[in-house]
Amino acid sequence: MQIKNGKDFWAGIMYIGFGLAFVLVARNYSMGSALRMGPAYFPTWLGGLLTLLGVIIVARSFKSHLEHTWRLFEFRNKLFFASVVIGGLAYWGQAHLNGISPWFAQAVNGLAIALFFGAFGKRSLSWILLVTVLFGYLLKPLGIVITTIILVFGAALAGHEFKFREILFLSIGLAIFCAAAFVYGLGLPFPVWPELRG
Amino acid sequence: MELLLSNLSLGFSVALSLTNLWYCFIGVLLGTLIGVLPGIGPLATIAMLLPVTFTLSPTSALIMLAGIYYGAQYGGSTTAILVNLPGETSSAITMLDGYQMARQGRAGPALGIAAIASFIAGSAATLLIAVAAPPLAEVALKFGPAEYFSLMVLGLVGAVVLAHGSVVKAVAMVLLGLLLGLIGTDVNSGVARFTFGVPELSDGLGFVAIAMGTFGFAEIILNLEQGEHREVFTAKVGKLLPSMDDFIYCVPSIIRATCLGSFLGILPGGGALLGSFSAYAVEKKLTKDREKFGKGNIRGVAGPEAGNNAAAQTSFIPMLTLGIPSNAIMAMMIGAMMIQGIAPGPQVMTQKPDLFWGMIASMWVGNLMLVILNLPLIGMWIKLLTVPYRLLYPAILLFCTVGVYSVQNSAFDSILTALFGLFGYICVKTESEPAPMLLGYILGPLMEENLRRAMLLSRGDPTVFFQRPISAVMLTLAILLLIVIALPFLRKKREEVFVEGET
Repeated sequence: MQIKNGKDFWAGIMYIGFGLAFVLVARNYSMGSALRMGPAYFPTWLGGLLTLLGVIIVARSFKSHLEHTWRLFEFRNKLFFASVVIGGLAYWGQAHLNGISPWFAQAVNGLAIALFFGAFGKRSLSWILLVTVLFGYLLKPLGIVITTIILVFGAALAGHEFKFREILFLSIGLAIFCAAAFVYGLGLPFPVWPELRG
Repeated sequence: MELLLSNLSLGFSVALSLTNLWYCFIGVLLGTLIGVLPGIGPLATIAMLLPVTFTLSPTSALIMLAGIYYGAQYGGSTTAILVNLPGETSSAITMLDGYQMARQGRAGPALGIAAIASFIAGSAATLLIAVAAPPLAEVALKFGPAEYFSLMVLGLVGAVVLAHGSVVKAVAMVLLGLLLGLIGTDVNSGVARFTFGVPELSDGLGFVAIAMGTFGFAEIILNLEQGEHREVFTAKVGKLLPSMDDFIYCVPSIIRATCLGSFLGILPGGGALLGSFSAYAVEKKLTKDREKFGKGNIRGVAGPEAGNNAAAQTSFIPMLTLGIPSNAIMAMMIGAMMIQGIAPGPQVMTQKPDLFWGMIASMWVGNLMLVILNLPLIGMWIKLLTVPYRLLYPAILLFCTVGVYSVQNSAFDSILTALFGLFGYICVKTESEPAPMLLGYILGPLMEENLRRAMLLSRGDPTVFFQRPISAVMLTLAILLLIVIALPFLRKKREEVFVEGET
């Protein structure tokens, strides 16, 4: 037995994962009957079907006429497991431990997310997704001007060429544009500069 | 007829109001602006620009979104002709002859005929919507929950059959979408489902985050991975208007493609892609000097452009009258409607006639604007194409992140977008077309609701779906479609059609 079509194999695994997750989580809710469906009824059926299709797709990947390697993109196991462990601990900690400073909790969450995105694909993927998340966290404390500059620099690092001066001008230009268009123009409730009161 | 005229005049009075004209203009302009960028198709464009419309009134928002849609589509054709890089699959066909024309120094007429063909097709399709929508909506108003459920099944199956790539994977994608749509508070029992105690999830997964992550972000990442190779024909665009001979030569193609496209657009799963593919195939069969196809035949531009625009327009029919999206872009439109607080469905026409007819009239206005706007602005789009991608993508990324964040002003949506960006990336790498997922996501809660009601009305008897005639017909059709697509002979044929389109 050998995996012939890696694309199908991983797609199938993904569907099985999603399907099982939905079925298992739905067990927490009441099933009801066909007459009066509970909140678990529809998701359980859908999740079951999804799992079944996933199994079919995986099975098909062993006897496919298309050949694809099973390594579709770079994947770093260590980062992935680290992120799962840290993320799991953080989730457990937030539910069971009292008196953790919100800053610390945020930092641990952030670390788990960063490791998670770092585990997949090429550098471009990790950087783009990381700066997206970073933008969400930094906008309130740092204001749109500084956050924009950070985002543009981070995004530029995802590319093939990085020219410092070019990106500097681009980021400053975009920062001015964002402040003018989104905050003053469209009236979005973003701070422009860091709030010093903390 | 009189009713049609009064409806249309209501529509035009709405669409031609100064505010709506302005938003239609902005939509068309922004849509073209983003759509012109290589590698960014209409789906990604709409996803990226969705948040811009949130602050507007529902009518203006939908008018603007529709404008973005045609703009993006036309922008994609411009890129296909000038750069040989399709913004999306539906302009991949235009590329075949359009790019060859550009290489022969006839980029101008190619761009011109694309605009003219789109306009003619768009006008005809708009009229068709105005004629066909009211009776359809009337039929739909009589639908009970069983009919609705079956209709949704048929719509989803249709979308799967017409999606390219593996059918099983597409069905799985639909199921995944339905499940994702169920996340959040269950309307019947009030139970928060699949939220893991995260308060931001109790209203469900953010539509903008899903659409923007899966389609917008994934595209940026993939474009970055591939690096840039492009060759822009800037110098020799020449005069834009095609000669009279060219135009007369194209007229029959435009008419054929408009009819074909209009029909295909209405089908579940239909839309721009199918319209342009089939129009090209028909032109290739019917035109005498067919060996010139692929070598810069102007009909090879006019036909697909007319076909995709007609289909793009008529795919609004099921969306507006039934509240059922026939493709991912219409799912996006429905998502936008729901964010604006409008429940999509046949009642929209009677309860909000100004929105309904205003939107239809604005389609024609938008198409006209495209022609007027693009013929003089083409020089600007070409300039934009010469801006290196390394400077463009940080800006695009920035506007996307601002857009996502502004929906709820929370970092949670940023994380969600990033996760769906990863999901979109994995989908592309595993060759699982994610568009059906968006359809499922939109229909998930509706399907559950109608299934529940139908079962309650039938006292738990599942055969109700086959006892009611309309419902039975629709379910049978859906099953037949699935059987037919599984037949080996047709499966091969279907693969051929899509392969032909892609090479």
